[in-house]
Amino acid sequence: MSDRKKASLLVVVIDTNPVWWGQRLEDGPGKSLTQFLDSVMVFTNSHLMMSHRNKLAVIAAHTNQSCFLYPRTESQEAAAGGGEPGCSAGMNDGKYELFAQVNEQVMEEVKKLVLTSLEGQTETDSLLAGALAMSLCYIHRCEKESFAGEDLSSRILIIKGSEDNPSQYMNFMNAVFTSQKQNITIDACILDNESGLLQQACDITGGIYMKIPQPSGLLQYLLWVFLPDPTMRPKLTLPPKAQVDYRAACFCHRNLIDIGYVCSVCLSIFCSFSPICSTCQTTFKFLGPPKIAKKKQKKPNS
Amino acid sequence: MASALSGGLITSGRKIDCKDLHSYLRTLSTSVLDKLYNHPATCLAVFRELPELAKHYVLRLLFIEQPISQSVVSLWVDNKCHSEHQEVVHVLTDIRVWQEQPLPGGMQGWILSPTFRQNLKIALLGGGQPWTGRGQLPPDKHAKDVAFLDKYAMDRWECILHFMVGSTEGTVGVSRDIIEVLLNAGLMKESGSDPLPTISPTGFQFLLMDTALQVWFFMLQYLEMTESKGLNLVDCLSFLFQLSFSTLGKDYSADGMNETQLKFLQHLREFGLVYQRKRKVMRYYPTRLAINLASGISSINSTPHAHGCIIVETNYRVYAYTESPLLIALLALFCEMLCRFPNMAVANLTRESVRNALARGITAEQIINFLRTHAHPETFKVGQVIPPTISDQIKLWELERDRFKFTEGVLYSQFLSQSDFELLRDYAQDLGVLVWDNPSKRVMVVSRTGHDDVKKFWKRQKAGNS
Amino acid sequence: MAEDEETGYRWETEYERSWEELTEDAAGLLQASVDEIALKAKRRKLLDKLGNIRLGMMRHLFIIIDMSAAMEDQDLKPTRLHSTLKLLEHFIEEYFDQNPISQLGIISTRNKRAEKVTELGGNPKRHISAVKALVTRSCQGEPSLQNSLELALQTLRHMPSHASREILILFASLTTCDPGNIKETVKLLKENNISCSIIGLAAEVRICKKLCHDTNGRYNVILDEPHYKDLLTQHITPPPATVSTESSLIRMGFPHHQLGSDKDGHEKPSMCMCHLDSKGTQGFSSTGYFCPQCKSKYCELPIECKACGLTLVSAPHLARSYHHLFPLEAFHEMPIAELNPSVSHVCHSCQAQLPDTNVYVCGKCQHVFCIDCDLFVHETLHTCPGCASSRTTQMSHMSLSL
Repeated sequence: MSDRKKASLLVVVIDTNPVWWGQRLEDGPGKSLTQFLDSVMVFTNSHLMMSHRNKLAVIAAHTNQSCFLYPRTESQEAAAGGGEPGCSAGMNDGKYELFAQVNEQVMEEVKKLVLTSLEGQTETDSLLAGALAMSLCYIHRCEKESFAGEDLSSRILIIKGSEDNPSQYMNFMNAVFTSQKQNITIDACILDNESGLLQQACDITGGIYMKIPQPSGLLQYLLWVFLPDPTMRPKLTLPPKAQVDYRAACFCHRNLIDIGYVCSVCLSIFCSFSPICSTCQTTFKFLGPPKIAKKKQKKPNS
Repeated sequence: MASALSGGLITSGRKIDCKDLHSYLRTLSTSVLDKLYNHPATCLAVFRELPELAKHYVLRLLFIEQPISQSVVSLWVDNKCHSEHQEVVHVLTDIRVWQEQPLPGGMQGWILSPTFRQNLKIALLGGGQPWTGRGQLPPDKHAKDVAFLDKYAMDRWECILHFMVGSTEGTVGVSRDIIEVLLNAGLMKESGSDPLPTISPTGFQFLLMDTALQVWFFMLQYLEMTESKGLNLVDCLSFLFQLSFSTLGKDYSADGMNETQLKFLQHLREFGLVYQRKRKVMRYYPTRLAINLASGISSINSTPHAHGCIIVETNYRVYAYTESPLLIALLALFCEMLCRFPNMAVANLTRESVRNALARGITAEQIINFLRTHAHPETFKVGQVIPPTISDQIKLWELERDRFKFTEGVLYSQFLSQSDFELLRDYAQDLGVLVWDNPSKRVMVVSRTGHDDVKKFWKRQKAGNS
Repeated sequence: MAEDEETGYRWETEYERSWEELTEDAAGLLQASVDEIALKAKRRKLLDKLGNIRLGMMRHLFIIIDMSAAMEDQDLKPTRLHSTLKLLEHFIEEYFDQNPISQLGIISTRNKRAEKVTELGGNPKRHISAVKALVTRSCQGEPSLQNSLELALQTLRHMPSHASREILILFASLTTCDPGNIKETVKLLKENNISCSIIGLAAEVRICKKLCHDTNGRYNVILDEPHYKDLLTQHITPPPATVSTESSLIRMGFPHHQLGSDKDGHEKPSMCMCHLDSKGTQGFSSTGYFCPQCKSKYCELPIECKACGLTLVSAPHLARSYHHLFPLEAFHEMPIAELNPSVSHVCHSCQAQLPDTNVYVCGKCQHVFCIDCDLFVHETLHTCPGCASSRTTQMSHMSLSL
């Protein structure tokens, strides 16, 4: 008899890159951030609706910061002025109180975020690694706090539109390896640009990577593909795994390469042979034609 | 409620019969069911109790307005889980969450029941009428905090339990209504001489249940009586569910409730499910008892005096770190109490004490369950909540009550035909001397006293035939 | 047990009054102060880590397991051998997790002989199954340090000069039975730039100490099983590179994972090179990694191509090692009272209310963290959540490489 109670924590990381969302606005109606948030909110509420033990966190990955949209900390709660007048706004219709509360908080925080970040940021990528690191810390804390006898399984869903940021590669991969170690699945729902980084992240942690063909149908994709938690997934027919590109990008030109040169000291990847490593300034011994370099070393040295 | 209730007690023999939400809903007529789904709270509660797979089905269908072919739905699951799919289809049909509807091509399709769909959407997305009591309220001058509500609720509830065990502590508050429910549920019975009813065997089993389970069982019994009291079942149920989805420590207005619901509210107040300062005040606070009704969270961290205080050792010692006289009284049902200190009690599980409990109709499973649900949080860390030796021994003590009974007899075998066998067996049965028979093997056992008669009958029979 | 040459032995140092650090809290419990000491110890360990030194990232490690009669001793439960093998399984897994492009081999020694259990290789599963099989072997006779070192030397001397060559010996016996002068072997090891470390299960032995000292290895003797595990984990992180390690650019291939179906959608199943000699159907499939140079197929990475000798890895394999090379700087500890009152008293990453004692501040992004996050970030995550989510600080990490 198992008396461990199953609980599921879902951390949703949403991309709020203003440049990307601004471009969407030009594409015409129906693709604004508000509509996107509405879909995400219905999805998160559906997750909460599945079971009363389910927990939720929403994190925004912005261009210059990552911040929690839900849950709010106690001190923030106090700063919101007791929340009385605000809270009642959600009670004008038949929505479940908790759901209304979640929606309202997220909307409020997004508003704050948008209003505070006006000064000319033109980066077209979001700081995903930071948001991912934060969600892992949050999950770590929740798992520590979950009381004995409760079985908390956690996963992360990243909903992303903007481009990849190659300079975040290391931070991002560190976060991915951590989640692999902690048994946290990373799912990715891509709105626009294919993301090599996220493809790898999902493949390594066993999550689902999907680029949505029609952004207007976002909610249905979320409900169909990303709502079932990893224990449910084998039972359902879900889209097959995509091919993952594990090629490396060289540090010198950021090209994807099939065969490259790796510095033995710092593991930097280069697409052509150079006598000095540009990362760690090591001078390399010239080993003749590199192709037979390995063979030559078979003789005892020193 | 799902995990708490469905894992609960199954009807078998003398065991207490506690239905989970679904089996309860199945007992209701279809018209009542359809009316029930008119409230978002009910839909939400029903949805949460569905099997995991069924929840996904409902959500997938929620935003699709036309029927979906049955064969398409069956493709949603992997082939390996076909039996689970069948089960889910059965459940959803049974409680009328979805209905069959023919597709234009002549195939059968599934469509969510329109009222269910509409109200679940309201719960999830908003729109529609606000839930009653959600209106603006001026701040309460006598606002109550969560700790107060918890204490109030537990006090009220324990009051009922105290009344059941017949202890004198605070039983004054138990009204005629509560007694009626207890009698109706068979938890107590009226004896001729005593003016107060006494506890029945099922009552003992009830005492050992989880609080959330107790409340649910009690409410089920109450709901069965609503009709006779002139209350509307649908109104009561939807209010109960609405209550279970409220926020703890928040006040709600009783304005706009109808006659039935106001009356029902008063009863809930008595049980401790809501707090109302005065009968006339149109403001109430739901308590943890009401909220746990739907969520089933065992309030381990909130009410430490009632939960998580028992440690069972392998030497049959039971330590209960509690001040609650009720819990100690419950423990005394199947333990031999050794010592009592201001904040703890020590007891011994002995063969005699457990057999006494078994004789009262309590089952071993219930004892173990009680120890498990009240186990100290520390024991969860060790992994083994109750030492296996103890749980096994308790089960063995129960089994030793089912002993072999020896009856001497004579075996009749090697009948030549089935008709011969049946003839003799029926004869023995008529005489009342048949102990056992197996028609397929044509063997039977007749008690020693009846052997002579049966033998004579058989001889006569053979003589008559030849 | 000697920590270092200078510090001398523990019993020669002054009496430590370790129990005086424990203080009861308001409820009369010791747990809080014990927890605090444990957390502090963890932090101290993190602070000891040095950044920006050259590490030997490509490791070639031989593990020599003592299988002599001394291994049957029951001071570790159930026996020294069982305990060692159990810890070793965990070690191998972690080793390949942290050093994905490294190799490992296992040698056992008993009855005065040395025997190779597994060849140097990069497949953790093969090593683990070999270690599991060792449980059934009986421990006999005396070990031979020299024989096993010579055996390891034979293979390691052929390894490329840019890679680190290491030997780790798990030594239970207090004696060794050697055919020649072991000092000659030590000299040879030194010449070949092979570092030897020993974890002793019994007591300190002079020759072991000398061996480790001369070859720049570490010599430790275990106190109990947790300490044993601790010592083993220390060998998981790559060692600093020795001066004589040459650096070079290594040519590597980054194969595509192919699903096997060609443009017309036909599947073309084939055998992979790694399972070529296996009898079963294992390794026969349409998916796999194809060497970009010679197009041989493999089902697992990393691997050295059997046909053309190219090392095949995937980008994440290299990325796994980056955190050793660019370690995260330790956060500053400061009492919460010194915190700017305008900053909210909430941990930046996990949103927990900060405790009333000490908080931890990242030197770069100035965000505040709780001790749990501090440890989690430094032990597992290796990325500061604050720095990674700010445009000005997230680059500094990689400024080296860009």
